[in-house]
Amino acid sequence: MQLTLEELKNLFKTLEAGGVAEFEYQDEKFRVKVGLGRAAATVVAAVPARSSPLASPAPAAAARAVDENVVAVTSPFVGTFYRAPSPDVANYVEVGSVVRPGQTLCIVEAMKLMNEIESELAGTIVDVLVENGKSVEYGQKLFTIRKA
Amino acid sequence: MFKKVLIANRGEIAIRVIRACRELGIATVAVHSEADAGALHVRFADEAVCIGPPQPLASYLNIPAIISAAEITAADAIHPGYGFLSESAEFARIVEGCRLGFIGPRSDVMQLWGDKIRARETARKYGLPLLPGSEALRDAEHAEAEAARVGYPVMMKARGGGGGRGMRIVRGEGEVRRAFESATAEAMNAFKNPELYLERFVEKPKHVEFQALADTHGQVWTLGERECSLQRRNQKLIEEAPSTVLTDELRASIGESIRHALAETGYTSLGTLEFLMDAQSNLYFMEMNTRVQVEHPVTEMVTGVDLVVEQIRAAAGEKLELADTRPWRFRGHAIECRILAEDPVTFAPWPGRITDYYPPGGIGVRVDSGVYGGFQVPSEYDSLLAKVIVHAPTRAQALGRMRRALDEFIIGGIRTNIDLHKRLIDLPEMRNGTMTTRTVELLMARGRS
Repeated sequence: MQLTLEELKNLFKTLEAGGVAEFEYQDEKFRVKVGLGRAAATVVAAVPARSSPLASPAPAAAARAVDENVVAVTSPFVGTFYRAPSPDVANYVEVGSVVRPGQTLCIVEAMKLMNEIESELAGTIVDVLVENGKSVEYGQKLFTIRKA
Repeated sequence: MFKKVLIANRGEIAIRVIRACRELGIATVAVHSEADAGALHVRFADEAVCIGPPQPLASYLNIPAIISAAEITAADAIHPGYGFLSESAEFARIVEGCRLGFIGPRSDVMQLWGDKIRARETARKYGLPLLPGSEALRDAEHAEAEAARVGYPVMMKARGGGGGRGMRIVRGEGEVRRAFESATAEAMNAFKNPELYLERFVEKPKHVEFQALADTHGQVWTLGERECSLQRRNQKLIEEAPSTVLTDELRASIGESIRHALAETGYTSLGTLEFLMDAQSNLYFMEMNTRVQVEHPVTEMVTGVDLVVEQIRAAAGEKLELADTRPWRFRGHAIECRILAEDPVTFAPWPGRITDYYPPGGIGVRVDSGVYGGFQVPSEYDSLLAKVIVHAPTRAQALGRMRRALDEFIIGGIRTNIDLHKRLIDLPEMRNGTMTTRTVELLMARGRS
């Protein structure tokens, strides 16, 4: 496989948009391994969508956006939102939970695949915006976090 | 019948499908990118799901997101519209595999007719006329030999897709190698498939296409033809039904061969077979589009058949109840103009906010539109804003009615090709029916000289 840097970037964007978390490829001449949708440093495309609130019809969201230290976590997939890994287990986070980068906040299930959504920042959960088991769309706000 | 259909598309065709679903009592789900959050189809549908950022690959072409949206809304069928995933056999297979209805042909039949070379072979087998042409070209030497055998001038074309990409006209032996190499690269880039074939090139053809409809009970109808000769860069601008140059005999014989070919290959749903016509009125099969077409309304106006409703019925397994169309009769004449968001001189696409919007109306005027006053036309998608369709008892009256309709159409805030359409309607070649696929290009060249 011979790809230019531009083609590689497009490949990663496409894979990430499709919900792929990790990608690895190797042949005699070339090897690439990348974690997608996580650390902000490697994935430029995803970060702006998550850190800035969408142009949303809800005035409450706009009022909250005034506090620049509070950022929204938005869903990168269409699917079903779950607060815990399984029904009888404790939620990943609650309002007031302190979170670190890489910590799992919730699951968005799509087509029987459980996608863990991880925090990109260190901070405290201010709000949980979706009820357990409800459907979410791309870009929908799931949590707000006050940056540490 | 389906209870809920998800429309995997946007713009005017999404509205079109929603309208058909409404008339059938089917609930609708719109999917949209973030750029289309305020779009008309989102507001018309019963439910809407945002499936991704503006880029098509991450939204309207994002198969997992579309399937997930069907899952969370409990849709039981997907209509792919035109463009995007409508001719993706892979998408059709995935939809079928998820036990959702796909409103289109079966994936294996779509694959057969969507492959240009296999489609040619199938057409030949069932007696459809073809241009002299080749198989897949192995290399430049093979291309040279085939071009000489077929006879110059020839057109090199991509096996994997159309839209003008991977196409080269070759007028003599000296040009073959360079054309082969550049067309191969372009085809690889556009379709991930470098394969080419070649056909005799017709200098100034008319573009004539036949509408077909088939159900899952072995019934196949042909619903007459459309002529779409006024094109720019292989993009149709104006379409009409019927064609001024088709005789009843030709219509009947081509129709018979088409029905036979589709029945034998198990084709169901809507489909359009595209032909070129040369100056001697010979028709040559080009390719088949295995989906609803942009210009389907002109056929609807002259036949009275709601093509999208019938397409949905066929997909749901119903036995369609259309009249026998073999004793062919058109009702009047219909013309469609595609209104695009583009600069009238440079043809540069012109996204932006529509400030005023007043579509034409009155007797015999239909507007299929995806936009409204205040809508922000996004830059990421094609430039089609709306289609103006007129229907009148005669072709002359239809031309006059289109002129009136174009004069009424107000779209402020962005640039459109409405003025170009007025010029095209007034062209002598359009009035007397002698237009070809080179007419618009020659008009533009005259304008520049």
